[in-house]
Amino acid sequence: MKTSPRRNLALLAAVAVLLASTLLFLYLKSSSNETSTYAESRDLIGRIKQLNAQWETEILKARIAISHNYDPLVTPLSEMTRLWQRFESMESNHGRNDTPTWRASHEAYLAAIQEKTRLVEQFKSHNAVLRNSLAFLPTAEDDIQQPLAQLPDEDKLQLQNIATDTYDLLLSSLEFAQVTSDDKAADILLGMNKLGVNKQRLPEQFHSPIDILSNHVTLILREQPVVNRLLENIEAIPVAERLDDITGLLNKDQQQSDAIDQRYHFYMLVFSTLLVLVLVYLAIRLMRSFGETQRVNKELQTANEVLEQRVEERTRELKDTQSELLDTARQAGMAEIATNVLHNVGNVLNSVNISADLVSRRLRSSKAQGLGKAMQLINEHQSDLGTFLTQNEKGKLLPGYLNQLVEAIALEQQGMTEELAQLSKSVDHIKDIVATQQSYAGANNLVEPLYISELLEDALRMNAGALTRHHVTVVKEYGDVPQVMGDKHRLLLILINLISNAKYAMSDLSNRARQITLGVKVVEDTILQISVKDDGEGIAPENMTRIFAHGFTTRKEGHGFGLHSCALAAIEMNGHLTAHSDGPGKGALFTLQIPLNPVMEEA
Amino acid sequence: MSRSFCYLLLAPLLGCCLIASGAPLDEPLKPLPAVPEQNPLQVELGRRLFNEPRLSVNNSLSCASCHRLEIGGADDKALSTGFKGDPLTINTPSVFNASLNFRQFWNGRADSLETQAHEVVQSPSEMGSHWEQVVQMLSADPDYKNAFTKAYPDGVTMNNVQSALATYERTLISANSRFDQYLSGNTEILTTDEKYGYQRFKDYGCIACHQGVNIGGNMFQKFGVMGDYFQARGNPTEADLGRYLVTKAEEDRNVFKVPSLRNVAVTAPYFHDGSAKTLEEAVDVMFKFQLGRVPSDKDKDLIIKFLKTLTGEWGGKPL
Repeated sequence: MKTSPRRNLALLAAVAVLLASTLLFLYLKSSSNETSTYAESRDLIGRIKQLNAQWETEILKARIAISHNYDPLVTPLSEMTRLWQRFESMESNHGRNDTPTWRASHEAYLAAIQEKTRLVEQFKSHNAVLRNSLAFLPTAEDDIQQPLAQLPDEDKLQLQNIATDTYDLLLSSLEFAQVTSDDKAADILLGMNKLGVNKQRLPEQFHSPIDILSNHVTLILREQPVVNRLLENIEAIPVAERLDDITGLLNKDQQQSDAIDQRYHFYMLVFSTLLVLVLVYLAIRLMRSFGETQRVNKELQTANEVLEQRVEERTRELKDTQSELLDTARQAGMAEIATNVLHNVGNVLNSVNISADLVSRRLRSSKAQGLGKAMQLINEHQSDLGTFLTQNEKGKLLPGYLNQLVEAIALEQQGMTEELAQLSKSVDHIKDIVATQQSYAGANNLVEPLYISELLEDALRMNAGALTRHHVTVVKEYGDVPQVMGDKHRLLLILINLISNAKYAMSDLSNRARQITLGVKVVEDTILQISVKDDGEGIAPENMTRIFAHGFTTRKEGHGFGLHSCALAAIEMNGHLTAHSDGPGKGALFTLQIPLNPVMEEA
Repeated sequence: MSRSFCYLLLAPLLGCCLIASGAPLDEPLKPLPAVPEQNPLQVELGRRLFNEPRLSVNNSLSCASCHRLEIGGADDKALSTGFKGDPLTINTPSVFNASLNFRQFWNGRADSLETQAHEVVQSPSEMGSHWEQVVQMLSADPDYKNAFTKAYPDGVTMNNVQSALATYERTLISANSRFDQYLSGNTEILTTDEKYGYQRFKDYGCIACHQGVNIGGNMFQKFGVMGDYFQARGNPTEADLGRYLVTKAEEDRNVFKVPSLRNVAVTAPYFHDGSAKTLEEAVDVMFKFQLGRVPSDKDKDLIIKFLKTLTGEWGGKPL
């Protein structure tokens, strides 16, 4: 199933290539440019045949001495050779030379033409001398007759006979040239014999002309049959028939190839019809699947729209819930803080109350009333004050009493002063608590110089009531930390939350003392590290990653806002808040790390 | 008035034309055709090859060594000298108008000029080379290589070397002989004697063999129709067998290609054996052994005068 798309594609391509090549093959097979080459081949053969006829005409013309020019007996042959070469190359281009029939027909033609050429060459040679001698014969005879007539005194009758014999020989020779028969040949031989006899009877001057005549007559006697035979042979050579054979083969071949063409045409038609059917089928399939796709698309779109609507709804609901939750959280936070504040304020107010009560009680039982009694005794003995002081029993005691009184009053005053100082400090504390509470309202990033230890004390104090109520011991491990520049409110928020969380974490602890360890130290000179450690219920490992998430809480009345806002505050101060626990029941350690920013020493 | 005036003007004009050109004469002898249209690059290449002695095995002979264009395209020796310095067995025919011969060589064993060149280069007596060697030599020569690449798509090959040579040889047409001008209609160009000579040439039957455009060169003929030339001459050689050497047919013994008579006055010595040193001797031999007739001295003289009108021009100069 995995490889199927690729395999399908390859298969499709293979099928396409197969179909295309089949079509091409059929097209090539059926496309017939051969008709023109057949026509051209036939034309060439026709022209060769024509030239052959022309050649034969020229031979006949030479035979009857119409023409003395033998060039026309050469040119048709060279033209035929040229045309034949063209035909051959055309044939071999079509691979027709390969079949034995073709080769045989070609060879037959070539053999015929070669033989004919040979015979024509011989004909030319023999005919030339024959024609020459025949043309010369009357002149040669004349060369004898003329001087014969001028011979003065010989036997007229004998001369007449010689002249007649010579003339007869001429006639027989010319007849022989026309009708070459053994009779005529015998006539010539007879005439020649007579001429030979006559030669002896005639004077010396006749010997040479008679020899010349007899030579030429001999030549005619020799050459005429040769020429005739050659002509017969030439005529017998079936060049035209061979050419007709080739034309016949061409026709047959063309018919065959036409038949093949038609067959392939038919195949192509069938194949094309099949292809068209397949195409139509595919088109229908395509249209159907297109409709299906459209329908599914529409459904999908509808579903999508519904889904989007639902998502929107849900998002809106979620947003509403979130803002509600935020409101609740904020209110809860505010309420918690208010509770803390009120609690703390209540605690402090308690001590204020106690102090005020103590002072008023001291004032009520003040020793200053003794001073009034002493002054009454002095006023009674104003006249004899000296005696009274020295003589009277009571008078003698008075200075001592006054001294004691002074001491007592001084002591009393000191106590009250102390108590009042405590009172005013408590009032200051209340002021601080209120101010701290007010500082929650703003998220202003106010950086001010502060001592971390004091800040920790403040945080403790703000939780003091709860801590006391839960009997929590606070262990302080404050390192040597300089005055730093810091955001008091954010730090206080974090610390109060961490301390509060620590306190809650230990609320179910009953088997051992509840103890919070607060630590401050500088790490690597650049980081201020504040840690709050409790030995309470600890954190389960699965919750470790979630405790800083908004809305996470393990408490029944918790709202998951505290640690989240602490982490945010830490990040806002370019620091971070981390938690560590060895597991449930093994306590937890929260560590706040922020960049150390010490206050510059004033000059 | 104007019409008659025009006729008056036309009459002398027409007269002039008639005198100047005249109609071509219908004779058994034909004037030379024009040089065929050919690739000038191939012609030039062929000209260089024709004069290239490196075609012979020892760089001693070019085509032009024996076919000396300045003396009628043939050798002035009866038998030319081969690359080894030995005389060849047969007389060198003229290269002029050779393309118009129906066969090449005295015994007609080559159908084309290409075949002729093919044989001569490899002939152990003539150039003695081999075509592989020739092609290699030409390929190694950057000039030739370049010229071949320009003239032929497939560069230096044996066929192309032969084709170039043949192409050049087809341009060697000795046109514009006085007799050709006569045939073309300029009947004034020949003297009366020369015209009589032509008449005798026909009457005695010379044209039985020497006719056509090349005045010969279109048939084979037995040397010694009316008598045994070779017995009369003596010292028969193998070359005397002529066409017999090609066909081995008894009827072809002593049969040769009829040579062209064009430029015959400047291509002495004559015959395949170069035995006739002068035209007179050659004409005598022809009369005795071919025609079997005895001409008068006057007629012979006239015929020789006629033969001298057959000398054409090459490169604008008479040969």
